[in-house]
Amino acid sequence: MYKLLLIVAMMTVWVSIHLLQVEEELAMQTLFQGKHAVNRAAHAAAQQLDQAALGEGLLRIAPDEAAATAALYLQENLKLDTNGAPLPESFLKQPVELAVFEIVNADQAFPYTYRNDVYDYEVTLQQPGVVMIVHIAYPRAFQILEPIEWEIKGAAELVAG
Amino acid sequence: MKQILIFVLFAALLCWLMFSPIYKHVLIVRQAVLQQEVDYLLEVGASGSYGYISGEMQEQSRQRLARFGMRPDEIEFELAAANGLAASDPSAPILRGTGISLTMSYPYENLFEIDRLIGLTPPLPNERMRAFGMKMSEYVP
Repeated sequence: MYKLLLIVAMMTVWVSIHLLQVEEELAMQTLFQGKHAVNRAAHAAAQQLDQAALGEGLLRIAPDEAAATAALYLQENLKLDTNGAPLPESFLKQPVELAVFEIVNADQAFPYTYRNDVYDYEVTLQQPGVVMIVHIAYPRAFQILEPIEWEIKGAAELVAG
Repeated sequence: MKQILIFVLFAALLCWLMFSPIYKHVLIVRQAVLQQEVDYLLEVGASGSYGYISGEMQEQSRQRLARFGMRPDEIEFELAAANGLAASDPSAPILRGTGISLTMSYPYENLFEIDRLIGLTPPLPNERMRAFGMKMSEYVP
């Protein structure tokens, strides 16, 4: 009888180790996907030129269009609806939160160092740009891991001229 | 006698325990490779010198994936641009500011068959694993 117990105990250990590994691999993939989404969103947002200022020879980012573009690229790359809640086909289960969206526009002196103490983030921009920090929670399928949540940070500069 | 009985009782579970991690690992790796391929094609296709993901680029991508043991014919590409163009035509590249979105899919094949041993139903044969992404084109003529 003790062998039966031993088999059950060993199976439990084996299954938990296996699940732990699968979860870690999936979490890594999710983090990469989130980072790519943030990078693409920040980059696309930073390219939204203010056409009126461009007519005067100034390279400025149009804030409203930049925000809309960033939201669109984030939604498309993570399969979210307009409120940041995941669509049914998305791997994520919890809403994605845009924690920081800041436009460093042409009225600053460059190189400009953006510093955010709350999220411990620092970046130096040579051109006008966009800084984004997005909060993403990993959807745990099993309760073996501690909850995993990320503040994914990204920045992009205006590429022009 | 009792031990044989125990072994028979646990045989299916034991088989599942021994072999299912490998199948799950193949699944994760395939998904990751597919996503990597999407990221790569978008990086190249949306870059300043292309603005499209042509049929030839898709064919090269199939060959790269075939090296990971995937069947090249089964890989499907769904390509779209935010302005409704095809995004796969080298003579009509997508201009800067327009998003190119790419979805690649591959069937699960028999990776979930082993789960029948513990009573789970595998996904339907027409369900596919997907990797997707959308990137803004940088192409300036």
